[in-house]
Amino acid sequence: MSSEAAPAQYHIQLRPGDVGRYVLLPGDPGRVPRIAAFLDDAVEVAHHREHRTFTGWLGGEKVSVTSTGIGGPSTAIAVEELARIGADTFIRVGTSGLMQPARMRSGDLVVVTAAVRDEGTGSHYLPLAFPAAGDPDVADCLRQACLERDVPYHVGLAHSKDAFYGEVQPERMPVAAELRARWDAWVRGGVLCSEMEAAALYIVCAVLRKRAGGIMVAIAEGRPALENLCATAVLGLRHLIARDAVAGR
Amino acid sequence: MAEREPGRETMHHIACARGDVGRYVLLPGDPGRVPLIASFLDDARPVADHREYRTFTGSLLGEPVSVTSTGMGCPSTAIAVEELAMIGADTFVRVGTSGPMQPFLAPGDLVIVWAAIRDEVTSQQIEPLAFPAVADLDVTLALRDAARARGLPHHVGVSHTKDSFYGQHEPARMPIAGTLQARWDAWVAGGALCSEMEASTIFVLAQVRRCRAGGVMITGGTQQDLGSLVGTAVDAVRLLIRRDRAAGTGE
Repeated sequence: MSSEAAPAQYHIQLRPGDVGRYVLLPGDPGRVPRIAAFLDDAVEVAHHREHRTFTGWLGGEKVSVTSTGIGGPSTAIAVEELARIGADTFIRVGTSGLMQPARMRSGDLVVVTAAVRDEGTGSHYLPLAFPAAGDPDVADCLRQACLERDVPYHVGLAHSKDAFYGEVQPERMPVAAELRARWDAWVRGGVLCSEMEAAALYIVCAVLRKRAGGIMVAIAEGRPALENLCATAVLGLRHLIARDAVAGR
Repeated sequence: MAEREPGRETMHHIACARGDVGRYVLLPGDPGRVPLIASFLDDARPVADHREYRTFTGSLLGEPVSVTSTGMGCPSTAIAVEELAMIGADTFVRVGTSGPMQPFLAPGDLVIVWAAIRDEVTSQQIEPLAFPAVADLDVTLALRDAARARGLPHHVGVSHTKDSFYGQHEPARMPIAGTLQARWDAWVAGGALCSEMEASTIFVLAQVRRCRAGGVMITGGTQQDLGSLVGTAVDAVRLLIRRDRAAGTGE
């Protein structure tokens, strides 16, 4: 499948030909085979550090699944290296903490149009004033998939943070008051869920002129229902591939 | 237009009260453009004219639709959006002019503003800078559908919202010239399409108020034909009204 002449990308250990232009991005390498199971003829093509990649087919188009690891730094590395070997459309698929308990239930899906840049990696690319926004077509296809599967979903903002324990145990951090004040501002601003990669993904893709989107399952308690999330993400990607074919893109 | 409801206060700056405006509001910057935009509505008439805020209300498909000028810049725009929301508006479409930032843009091209750079301070008195200034997906798709149906050259993407017009046009004479130039270069490298002065605050405020917002800008300054710009915005509002009704969220 790969072109042996080209050197492998340093961290993801992949070469041109190893991946499709469409890549699904979970955080957890352990979830890569579970998402790849929704593709046709998926095989593992690399597994180095936290970056594990399967490539298969969807609607006649080559599609890959690569884990980003947790956080913006490793996500930016994965996206940079995937873009260098031909990927141009990235869809984050992952779990998140639910932030609007009055109008959401645990297990609801969130189509992430844009993300709060409460993280550092994106600022190595663009000043903080720049919006971490995904591609509207990707968001529209993911929303269409939610509608067709008749699953509870919301369209809107995610909060992307660097410190998991700063969010879940703010009281023990020296900057507790600031963490709480900022969290309240995100909640009052209508942010739907909290996760750790979307903002960096969207900013890196803005700079690279690639398309990005994201779909998250929002969890308040218990274990996430990953099958619903993965099936919906793959259906959304199927719609995007079909739209691109019609548009000659 | 509905009669002004008794007991409803007139808003301090926009001089409108509940009943004066529709839930859909087009937002130009210039009060002088309000009558032109209103001429695209059915039965439009002036309802208020105070400071830089001029408002006409008419209808589209039988639904009340208003046009209110924001004045230039985010401070006056935030006041307009807050007060319009207080009297029942929930869908805002910015319509205006902008400077092109990418070489592939031809004069007169439309930019449908999906998100905005918060290079201004008004919205930072609402949400920290990390919060994204992003438009509503449905408003954005309606604007794009309208531009496509008219066969107009258009681009969907990011706008740069600034506080200082002359800081952008004549950065060299500002004491912070180096910073202005470096940041401008970053916005261009990030793919920003056009520069204007109101979108980011409209988007942040709409998000915080659980309202919808979007924007369409013409690039290349005020000499361009505004008809295609305004026609696209009005067609998009018409599409939104139809889609809201179909979704059961219309009036």
